[in-house]
Amino acid sequence: MSNQKKRNFQIEAFKHRVVVDPKYADKTWQILERAIHQIYNQDASGLSFEELYRNAYNMVLHKFGEKLYTGFIVTMTAHLKEKSKLIEAAQGGSFLEELNKKWNEHNKALEMIRDILMYMDRTYIESTKKTHVHPMGFSLWRDNVVHFTKIHTRLLNTLLDLVQKERTGEVIDRGLMRSVIKMFMDLGESVYQEDFEKPFLDASSEFYKVESQEFIESCDCGDYLKKAEKRLTEEIDRVAHYLDPKSEEKITSVVEKEMIANHMQRLVHMENSGLVYMLLHDKYEDLGRMYNLFRRVTNGLLTVRDVMTSHLREMGKQLVTDPEKSKDPVEFVQRLLDERDKYDKVISTAFGNDKTFQNALNSSFEHFINLNARSPEFISLFVDDKLRKGLKGFVDVDVEVILDKVMMLFRYLQEKDVFEKYYKQHLAKRLLSGKTVSDDAERSLIVKLKTECGYQFTSKLEGMFTDMKTSEDTMRGFYGSHPELSEGPTLIVQVLTTGSWPTQPAVPCNLPAEVSVLCEKFRSYYLGTHTGRRLTWQTNMGTADIKALFGKGQKHELNVSTFQMCVLMLFNNADRLSYKEIEQATEIPASDLKRCLQSLACVKGKNVIKKEPMSKDIGEEDSFYVNEKFTSKFYKVKIGTVVAQKETEPEKQETRQRVEEDRKPQIEAAIVRIMKSRKILDHNNIIAEVTKQLQPRFLANPTEIKKRIESLIERDFLERDSTDRKLYRYLA
Amino acid sequence: MRRSSTKKKSAESVATDLFRSASSKASTKEMDRIDQLFNQYANRSSNLIDPEGIEKLCSNLDVSHTDIRILMLAWKMKAEKQGYFTNEEWRRALKALRADTLNKLKKALPELEKEVRRPTNFADFYAYAFNYCLTEEKQKSIDIETICQLLEIVMGSTFRAQVDYFVEYLKIQNDYKVINMDQWMGLYRFCNEISFPDMGNYNPELAWPLILDNFVEWIAEKRA
Repeated sequence: MSNQKKRNFQIEAFKHRVVVDPKYADKTWQILERAIHQIYNQDASGLSFEELYRNAYNMVLHKFGEKLYTGFIVTMTAHLKEKSKLIEAAQGGSFLEELNKKWNEHNKALEMIRDILMYMDRTYIESTKKTHVHPMGFSLWRDNVVHFTKIHTRLLNTLLDLVQKERTGEVIDRGLMRSVIKMFMDLGESVYQEDFEKPFLDASSEFYKVESQEFIESCDCGDYLKKAEKRLTEEIDRVAHYLDPKSEEKITSVVEKEMIANHMQRLVHMENSGLVYMLLHDKYEDLGRMYNLFRRVTNGLLTVRDVMTSHLREMGKQLVTDPEKSKDPVEFVQRLLDERDKYDKVISTAFGNDKTFQNALNSSFEHFINLNARSPEFISLFVDDKLRKGLKGFVDVDVEVILDKVMMLFRYLQEKDVFEKYYKQHLAKRLLSGKTVSDDAERSLIVKLKTECGYQFTSKLEGMFTDMKTSEDTMRGFYGSHPELSEGPTLIVQVLTTGSWPTQPAVPCNLPAEVSVLCEKFRSYYLGTHTGRRLTWQTNMGTADIKALFGKGQKHELNVSTFQMCVLMLFNNADRLSYKEIEQATEIPASDLKRCLQSLACVKGKNVIKKEPMSKDIGEEDSFYVNEKFTSKFYKVKIGTVVAQKETEPEKQETRQRVEEDRKPQIEAAIVRIMKSRKILDHNNIIAEVTKQLQPRFLANPTEIKKRIESLIERDFLERDSTDRKLYRYLA
Repeated sequence: MRRSSTKKKSAESVATDLFRSASSKASTKEMDRIDQLFNQYANRSSNLIDPEGIEKLCSNLDVSHTDIRILMLAWKMKAEKQGYFTNEEWRRALKALRADTLNKLKKALPELEKEVRRPTNFADFYAYAFNYCLTEEKQKSIDIETICQLLEIVMGSTFRAQVDYFVEYLKIQNDYKVINMDQWMGLYRFCNEISFPDMGNYNPELAWPLILDNFVEWIAEKRA
């Protein structure tokens, strides 16, 4: 009461442990246990979350965490056992519904319980590394309900049954399915996979095995593929609606395997509806479907590609080896182009421009085009036809399209040097007869060939064009310096550089006086401006336009060959001539003369000359006179054209021989080139290297290469190695 | 102690000197006899043994002039021109054979044959035989008929079957009118390496001359 010292008021914690009443834990637990019951009995409304939370909290705080945890597990387990009995009792359709309902209830309850036991979750369970409440709730459900023997199998079968029903067209409760299957997913990936997915996949596999067998017996290929596609779409749809997305790949694999992979060969080879049928009939939709389905399985596209390739090769082989079809070269090539276009369209429309299919197409064409040794000649003839008349009226763009297609066929040729030879012959004829539809088209093709094969291939061809141009200039110069010649016959000369043009032997022939005078004047003019050159008249290649007046006053202008002109001009000085007289006067060789006379006297509508006797062939005793009664609708009459034709057998042999001869030095040059850089090389490698080097021009024959090597050994360019006889050595 | 350079020879060197002079005397004597033998067959004016002389030699030796042993003798001589032996060539062979009389030469022939037939020498001899037949300067090939004869002489006794077949083939084929050294040697390898007549181990993809590829094909067709 008197002065009390003021002290800091301190509150100190209890230094002694507060011993909690052991019964406290029990009592608290009982509260919680009762709460759990109520929650499960859907009777939670009267509970206070705050109170329950605090109770749980206190238990953990006072080190009764274990008791709480164990109690929670025991209580929940008991409830779940009860629930599963109820579920199991459900009949028929309501089984699944009951399960689903109880699952939802459990989840709700579990959430609430988890919230209440949150503190334990975060502290006791953390520190003891035990399973957290929520996952534990799932595990308990799994162990006590799903894996309850009386439920487990029944659940699975019910689900699979529903899937089956849906596959056969019935409508099922997708929402329910989704819920139940989601339950599996929630319980854990392994539960989903073990308890549902795997059996599901197995059952599906069985189902599709049976179905595919039924279909394949009863449907044609197109229909089957439609059905397979439909099933695939359905399964993907199913997954989207009520399965785990991860299952999509697995179930589609099952369908692909059962419906496609297992029946691949049978489908592709099906008579009258398989791949070949589809290709022949342009069934783009079916083909596209086949491509998309087969793409999904191993070797699916490989199978399709192989069948397509062998079909192409077979068809191609028949096409090129059919003698009927090779009668008309232009037709022949057009057919090839048409086929190529067709398959190009198939690949772009139905096969998504798949490069591997493009390659298969190219290799097949390459294979069979080279089966016919005349392909190079025919392609050149096709081009010739187009450049003479076929491209008339075509727009530039279209011309390019055709030329590009020709180039494509050209690329397939193994014997490009044979093509070159024919192309040169045909080009020469076109240029000299002035019969080309478009100069631009000609040049365009040359440029394409140059791009493809290099400068050497086309240098001579370009030389030919240059000669034509130069000749025009020369003619202008000639007439410019000889104005007196503007009256009288007009001479047009084309000066050809020997190396560039196909070689022709010069044929002797006596030109009529008027003409030979002009020729001589030209010769002196030309040699005056070009010293050191030699001119040889190619009388077998020229043409002439002659004006003729017949017995009844008919006037015609005749377009004839030089030989024909020589013969006709003789009749200006004689009414009747014998074969021998004509031969003597013109000095044209017998075979050429006979051909010439035949075209003048024996062709209906063009017989300006008559022959006695009137036989088909020219005999050496025959005589000839002018056909005074000759008539023709046209003023200008063309007799004897110089059109490029398919070669006769002997001509063909000759050309082929020349090609073979030309190849020998090329092979030797290749061998020397290779040996010069490698110095020593063994036999097989030389053959391989030489073949590779020559491949852009032709396919070299190993026997021919060997012959050339031996020839080079003999001429001391190479020698055999003295120890290893397989090796060759370059001798500098 | 410096010894004076002595011209006195030791007993040993004297002996060898004696021996050398004796042997050189002997060898000169041998060479003389060899030359004498040469002169018996040589043409006086050209100082060469010409074809006539060779014929005489052959009849004296009791061998036919197409006998392989004459060719072997030519080989031993390294004779350059067919049908002629020079003095030097003659000396070379007879000295090596240690034959300075006709009799000794005759007796040396079997030994010579054995020597030539040794595998190491035979290949050389075989090639020599080809070159021996090249009569013109710059000639590199031999015509078919001569080749057939040559084959008969050189290989007839050891590879009877192959020679018969090959000669038949050469006569009917049209690809080659002459045979060159490469093909000739190829044939030798063929006889030695390839089992005949099955030719199971012949591989046309190796670098055999083309004529042999064709030969093998022709036999296969015949036997089919």
